[in-house]
Amino acid sequence: MSLKPFNKLPELNTANVLLVENEALFQEKLADAIVLLENNVNVKVRLARSLPLPLENAENRPRIDLVAFIVHLNSEQSLLSAEASLKHLDSGYFLGKVCFLVTGARCGTLPYERLTSLKKMAATLNSPLLMAEDKTAEGVNAAAQRVLAVLRVAAGLVPTATGLSLSSLTRCTVAKDPDWQNEDRSHLNQP
Amino acid sequence: MDDSVKQVLRQIIRRIPSNKLRNTLSKWEHISKKQFQSLEFTQAKSLLCDNLLSLCEENELSMKHVTELEMIYRIEHPAQGSWNVCQLIDPEEEALTVDSLHFKESFKAHLKCLINHVSVKMKKHEDDALWIRIAWGDNFTQPNHLKPTYVVHNLQTPYVFVSGLTMKHRPLLHQALVQSGHYGAVKDVHLSGRCLTALRDLLMRQYKQVFPVKHPKLLEEKTPLPRTPCIEIEDTKHAENRMQMAAEAFGEGILPKLETAVYKLETRFKENEMGREEPFRGVVKFASSNLLESLKYCVSSGMASAPVTPLLSSITQKGRNYFVITDKGPGISNTPGPKI
Repeated sequence: MSLKPFNKLPELNTANVLLVENEALFQEKLADAIVLLENNVNVKVRLARSLPLPLENAENRPRIDLVAFIVHLNSEQSLLSAEASLKHLDSGYFLGKVCFLVTGARCGTLPYERLTSLKKMAATLNSPLLMAEDKTAEGVNAAAQRVLAVLRVAAGLVPTATGLSLSSLTRCTVAKDPDWQNEDRSHLNQP
Repeated sequence: MDDSVKQVLRQIIRRIPSNKLRNTLSKWEHISKKQFQSLEFTQAKSLLCDNLLSLCEENELSMKHVTELEMIYRIEHPAQGSWNVCQLIDPEEEALTVDSLHFKESFKAHLKCLINHVSVKMKKHEDDALWIRIAWGDNFTQPNHLKPTYVVHNLQTPYVFVSGLTMKHRPLLHQALVQSGHYGAVKDVHLSGRCLTALRDLLMRQYKQVFPVKHPKLLEEKTPLPRTPCIEIEDTKHAENRMQMAAEAFGEGILPKLETAVYKLETRFKENEMGREEPFRGVVKFASSNLLESLKYCVSSGMASAPVTPLLSSITQKGRNYFVITDKGPGISNTPGPKI
């Protein structure tokens, strides 16, 4: 059963984010940072290794406002697992309720094709791609802030902005130019 | 003391790190307490060695005494070089009742029958293990004390741990072991590693094992709950399952320390379209400072698929870390392959 964005009623002043990571290395740190950073609204984080989510939790699972896929570029499995998980997501999520978080993009020794295919994937799904640093506390905090910014909009907590309008601005795009990687694609990707 | 004894002593002192020298020498009974106190452990090793040599000269020590020093050090620090394991099979009736004194004598006698120049020294360790140091010579040369073979055998158990044995001397040692231990034959277990106690624990199952149970322990006992109620983990049940399976395959708590696992493939391509007759050969080698711990983590963290493949779990179940995989069946063949 695929995860649907609107089959449950929203709770007042609450935002729910689902972090999907195959390795479970980064998600706990990120979840802690997200929960600590937000004081105004009630942020709930759910952690999963892959989709589909287990059926037995379906009853008491709240409406998920944002699904963040964490991909480590140093492992092929991480990318494949995220790709496989995407199939279990309802298409309604791709209207501004999905984002990708990439770690290790700074490391030059990793195969570049992984980042390229991830970028293509994010571009075809009209979703933003956020670069994150998972080794340092500042990096985790910065990543948490970015996820929170997207989450607030996706959960409808920001007046005049919707997830769809944000994602049309922040979505990852791949230029046709051969050295498209040098171009600036989205303002969210900038450090 | 002749030159060869001096050379061997120098070599032994050179191999012992400075910080362990004092402890090792204090256990050596062939220099008196007064002589031991006269040694300066702060000075350079070569000077210390000269002083020690003069003391040995004073006490008229021979090769026998000098090699004992090496044995003391080696028993205290067994994690040097690689240990291989062989198993004595087909025990005779006397095998269960053989005592160490009898074993020592008959082992020495049997080995001396087989080869003229050999020097054997035995020492019983605190945990009932019999340590045997063998310096091999051949028909015309004196035993070479610089490259000794160490053998560790717990009497009444079928396992023998061997370090530093050359191919040439292997049949001699095996024959002596079989005859003096009253066994029928000896076979290679295909298990090797640097840590002697780990190999022994693995073979004698002296680590915390986990067996399949119908009602596994609650997860709360194993993993701590997240700190805040705002964070929830979706697949706790799967995680619990994976951890249980990993523990069943590799054990729990502190695992025996193995360094490598080698899989040798000798398989043919299934569809013989290419006209290839010769088998496809390949060697897969896993290496880690603690291999079982790494494999267990791979399974429990979800990096490897959850029911552990028999190829990996048979490291603990069969107690070996060298496998030859041939085409005969999906399982692991028991054909003895060449030792790596």
